[in-house]
Formats: sequence, structure tokens, C-alpha cells
Amino acid sequence: MEQDAQLVQQCLQGDGSAWEELVRQHSRRVFNICYRFTGNRTEAEDLAQDVFLRIYRTLGSYRSVHGGFATWMTSVTRNLLIDHYRRTKRDRITDSLDDAMPVVENKHSSARRPDEQALLGELSNQVQSALTKLSPELREAVILRDLQQLEYSEIQTVLSVPEGTVKSRINRGRIELARILQQMGVRPS
Amino acid sequence: MTWTCEQTELLLTDYLDGLLQPDQQRAFDVHVNGCERCTPLVASVTHAITGLRALPELELPPRFVYNVLDATLGPRETVTGWAAVRVWVRGIASPRFAYGSLSVAATFLMLVTASGFNWKKPKLADLSPTTIYRNTNRQAHMAYARGTKYVSDLRVVYEIQSRLRQENELPTNQEGMPDNSPQKEPGRTDGTSPSTPRQQNRANDVSSHLQVLAEELPILSGRFCFVLLEGRPR
Repeated sequence: MEQDAQLVQQCLQGDGSAWEELVRQHSRRVFNICYRFTGNRTEAEDLAQDVFLRIYRTLGSYRSVHGGFATWMTSVTRNLLIDHYRRTKRDRITDSLDDAMPVVENKHSSARRPDEQALLGELSNQVQSALTKLSPELREAVILRDLQQLEYSEIQTVLSVPEGTVKSRINRGRIELARILQQMGVRPS
Repeated sequence: MTWTCEQTELLLTDYLDGLLQPDQQRAFDVHVNGCERCTPLVASVTHAITGLRALPELELPPRFVYNVLDATLGPRETVTGWAAVRVWVRGIASPRFAYGSLSVAATFLMLVTASGFNWKKPKLADLSPTTIYRNTNRQAHMAYARGTKYVSDLRVVYEIQSRLRQENELPTNQEGMPDNSPQKEPGRTDGTSPSTPRQQNRANDVSSHLQVLAEELPILSGRFCFVLLEGRPR
């Protein structure tokens, strides 16, 4: 955490290598959050790149006393994902007509690249599909808790909501996810 | 403490994250174990969380970092000479690339060696696909022929050995006159000195066969044949 704050200071003084170090350290995590939220690799790549552009522009507003750099970066990522979700809502309403088809045959999974198909097993594929069907507020809570393994207090900072709301969203998100998976025919053995 | 299905649903995350008080935990367990509605709920949510946590962390797309750096810091200066080599080496210096290169190199070495390539006198013509195919084919046939010959030779040796054993087990009194020497019991031989001319001839025949076989089979010309010829190792 201290190392990140130091790197941020160096960045603000115009040190390009410090910025490169920050990008290298955090890019994989940011990309994974974006991918789990959108379920689309290309979109995730574009969004992750936008996240870093926004961070680069607003780096001066980061204060280490308000939390770690990773938490701040996650907040920026989350805000950008929500903006993106609202912007593309109309497109998704059109896409939702395809939801009547079985999930394993939907256009997202068939359009995936072969290496991506090989990377994700069938269960992972189904869990990812189920995740993208959650409402954005439940999805982000579940991603931050169960995928990014953040503490409740960190999620509270990222989402800017009380801890009770965080717990409630995680709880509802998990139950909803289990229900969607059951509808898809994925049941505990 | 009484517990309801609504409480189970409401406090499921606290239960799974181990945040319940001990008395709540007990009441939760007692209720869930006896409730037809809550048992599958807890099982399905646990299964969902397991599936979530098993999701793999994806690798970054290639050049992602460079794209971000180009978009923020501007295009990098073009490096040339040794600096470019150092950048290139740093780019490929990853464990995955190293393992991949090693396995490819090992496979290539095995294939070239199996094709009969002479490493002491390398010739470019030996690396042409036709030559590699022909040599590999020849090596495979030779290996098969050697194996077949080895098995066949072993069979001959065992056959000779078994015949020799049968000969030794024959009682001497069937060959003609009984041996009345005081050292031997009637009907037994010691397998070292044939007592009759017929036995002597047969032993000579077997011995000459084994000598020929030992010359043909260098691997058996040592201790094993010595045992067969002399009856016991030295």
C-alpha cells in the first residue's frame, strides 16, 4: 500500500517508469473485474484501458488517507462499469430477446474465441453467464466479495454504501446467482 | 432459540462467512438440517460460491500494458541496437515462454536423434524431411528387427538349457553299464563328467552349440554362458 502511494507521488512528479510500474501491477486485476462484469473480452479490454486513462487524468485527486490505492482504483473501475452499463442499456434490451434460447448456445458463448473456450471450463462458462444475468448492483457486490476477495469495509468504500447494504447485496446476489444456476440446470452434486 | 426460514435466507451470507454468534450458528444448523426448503437453498448457494471462486483469473490481452502506456505517456521512442535486444529479451523472459521453448527444443532433439542424425559430423542434407523420414523409418525397422532377434535368441538359449537339464536328470543306468564308483550313488550323475560315450558325445554337442551362440550373442557371452558351460559361476 505504501509502495503504491510512493509510486503515485513519483507519477505526479512526472516519473513515467513509476506510472508504468503501477499499470503493470494493477492491470490484470482491473481487466478481470471488467471481464467478470461484462462477460465480454473485447469490451473488458476497452473498459480497462478507459479505467487507466481516467486514473492517469485524476491521479492528483487520490489521497492515501482515504484508503489504499487498489481500493481507489476499484472505485474508479466500478464507476466506469456502471456508466458503461447505463450507456449500453438500450442495446441489452434488444439482446434480451435472445435470452429465451439456452444459455450454453447464446450468441456470446458461440462468439467466444477458441482459446477463451478452452480456458473456461463448462461450469466456469455457466457461472460467468449467470453472473452477467444479475442486476448490476448485486453483480458488483458479488464480484468484489467472491472474486476479488475484498473485505466488507473495502466494498463499503468502493460502493459508497453502508455496511448493512453491502451485506444485504452480497446475500441477495449469491441467492439470486444460485437460483439462476439452478434454472440453467447446474445443481450441486 | 427458534429459527425461521426467513432468518436463514437473511443471514445466509453471515453464516457462510462465519460471522454468526455461536448460539445463532447452532440454531441455524439445527433448522437447516431439518428444513426441506432451507437445505437445498444452503447447498445451492454454497455450490454457486464454489463455482465463483473457481473462476480462473484471465491473462491480460497481449500489448495491453503498452497500449495503456502509449495512450497515457505517448508513443515510446524507438530503441535500436543493444537496447532493442534488451527490450526484446525482457519481453520473452517469462517462465511460460521458457518452458515452451525447452519442450519444443527437447522434442526437436529427440526427433532428430531418432532419425539417425550424426551430431559429430552434421550435414545439412540429413535435415531434409525426406532423409529424416527415411532414416526414422529405417531406425524403427532396425529396432524392431533387433528386438525380434533378441527374443528369438533368448528362446534358443532357454531351449538348450532345458534340454541340457533334461539330459542331466536322466539316470545313468539307462545308458548301459551302471557306475560303480564309490563316490556316486547308483542312478545319479553330478552333471560334470559324462559317464558313457553317448553322454560324452551329447555333452560335447551342447557345449559346441553354446560356444557358437556365445559368439553370436555378445550379451550372453559373459557370466550366463559360463554358467551354462561350466555348471556354476566362478
